Amino acid sequence: MKFQIEGNTNKINAELVYNKGSGDLLFVIDDQKYNLKLLKSTSNEFEFILENTYHYVKILPSTETKYKVYIDGIVVEIKKHSKITEIIEKTLKSKGTTYQANNVTSQIPGRVVKISVSTGDKIKEGDPIVVLESMKMQIAIKSQKEGTIKEIKVKEGSTVSRNEIVAIIE
Amino acid sequence: MSKISSILIANRGEIALRVIRACKELGIKSISVYSDDDNRSIHVKRADETYRLGPSQASESYLRIDKILEIAKSSGADAIHPGYGFLSENDVFSDECKKNGIIFIGPTARAMELAGDKMKCKEIMKKAEVPTVPGSDGVVDDMGLAVEIAKEAGYPVMLKSAFGGGGRGIRLVNDEKELRQEFELASNESQAAFGKSALFIEKYLTNIRHIEFQLIRDSSGNGRHLFERECSIQRRHQKLIEMSPSPVVNKEKREKVGEIAVRASTALDYLNAGTAEFLADAEGNFYFIEINARLQVEHPITEIVTGKDLVKLQIHVAQGEELPFKQQDLELKGSAIECRINSEDPFYDFAPSVGYVPNCNIPSGPGVRVDTYLYPGCNVSGYYDSLIAKLITYGGDFYEARIRMKNALSEFTIEGINTTIPIHKTILEESNFVNGNISTDYIEKYNIIEKMKHKRDQEYKDKAYAAISGILLQSEFVKKSYSGQRIDRSQKSMDGGFF
Repeated sequence: MKFQIEGNTNKINAELVYNKGSGDLLFVIDDQKYNLKLLKSTSNEFEFILENTYHYVKILPSTETKYKVYIDGIVVEIKKHSKITEIIEKTLKSKGTTYQANNVTSQIPGRVVKISVSTGDKIKEGDPIVVLESMKMQIAIKSQKEGTIKEIKVKEGSTVSRNEIVAIIE
Repeated sequence: MSKISSILIANRGEIALRVIRACKELGIKSISVYSDDDNRSIHVKRADETYRLGPSQASESYLRIDKILEIAKSSGADAIHPGYGFLSENDVFSDECKKNGIIFIGPTARAMELAGDKMKCKEIMKKAEVPTVPGSDGVVDDMGLAVEIAKEAGYPVMLKSAFGGGGRGIRLVNDEKELRQEFELASNESQAAFGKSALFIEKYLTNIRHIEFQLIRDSSGNGRHLFERECSIQRRHQKLIEMSPSPVVNKEKREKVGEIAVRASTALDYLNAGTAEFLADAEGNFYFIEINARLQVEHPITEIVTGKDLVKLQIHVAQGEELPFKQQDLELKGSAIECRINSEDPFYDFAPSVGYVPNCNIPSGPGVRVDTYLYPGCNVSGYYDSLIAKLITYGGDFYEARIRMKNALSEFTIEGINTTIPIHKTILEESNFVNGNISTDYIEKYNIIEKMKHKRDQEYKDKAYAAISGILLQSEFVKKSYSGQRIDRSQKSMDGGFF
């Protein structure tokens, strides 16, 4: 199976090739053999020794094509490559991009303390749309493009989560 | 004054736990209060008694003077420790405690009012011949006036809340357009956090260090300084790393500026623990900026290099005792560093990160102290400050303290949220930091964010094969569980048998 690490263009080919039992397994990664000793496993957590180094891995909620992996204190995103997933991604991209750019999304979770625009307002890139409060800080969510406010999706006092759409621009 | 036998802690998080520990050492009953979002927090679990304050919003709980005093009276608390933030610098609260016959562990309302009003304080300091930052004078509550003053001082200027503290509500503005935008935000923020809105403007100086002196003064008028803390590593005027001693303060300088700091506390007739903050320029001039009328977040590094327990001292002073040491008895030994671990995503402009923490590993070992409210299964609330842990290391010298910090940071894992650990790891290895070449604009000046990203990419590469092995193990797991092999869900460990 082919994998790609976030922020890296190289693809990594990896397979589980042999299960010796008793938790001893053999992997081949990029044409090299790697011994892995499994110490503990649940449906999404794995503790193992890979070539004499201990690792703790937890597979976080992931999509079919993209894995989020918590490993030894950091979170890594890994893409799984197959013919099918590549086709799905390409079609999603060609359909989705124009619509997505019209959405103003919140990069942080927080409470809406102020809405700076009204429906129909003409705005420029960088104009504040709403002001959020989180962890004692007030942060303005700014528009990424020029346009007209088509719809405001939040109310003052309501809470928004990360990546939630707060407004739509035309 | 009679001895304190019970203390209500009007705070939460790591500082509430810090005060609970001091109470336990002194055989004092600890009483904690909590908001709804905090009902499983560490200060609820560790205190001798705990009482509900109200809903999660700070304005409905930790800022409710009436409710806190009601609980203090009904639970029979002799004293209240306010921690830092929340009501710690609220002169009305200090005064109300006094009126209700409860000892407020901190400054008097009068001293607090003077220290909190940065403009009045500046005036008093000028009279006491304490050097202050050249620049603005007067509180500005009008946008038009703000624009005028900023123009006169010259951009960039800092927009500060007169009643604020801890860096919140401080904004750097580069031109008039930004000032107009930020003035309103800063004013609202001040209103929401402190219930008052008054801003002032100060010229923004570059290439400067933030160095502060720990103070303590008893009710008999004995004032001492417990040396300096170098707090120049900041992001948006929020301290990230503090250390004591400062790499640019020698014995002579320490004595000279320490004496000025004590003089400043005398001018305010200050009581209990406080901090005199200074800006130091490249020529070694120190300018007094303000007195923080509370226990500081970074107090542990001072505790380590002086061997004095500041919270216990605060309690002793609050019950009317004289300080048990003279200035010349104090000695600065070794070196200590503190890294503030905030629940913020340093790769995403430090956006707040909140939620459930299924697991965490708190570092330990020689020369390591961790003050934190984290435990496996805890919750990081979005209602309060983002500080979740203070990692403190110490050693015989800066080198030893730094290496211990590097190791401790690599041991520190927190699952479920993003934290500032990656930026600390980057800074601790960066050559300018290593050589003590730091200033308040260090992060931007030396492209620390870029260096941190580079370090992360390297970490990804290092962990790639192991992470992929984990994914393959899981897909094998899924395959087998669908092919009819029985999985005993009650049995967590399936070593050997399954694979």
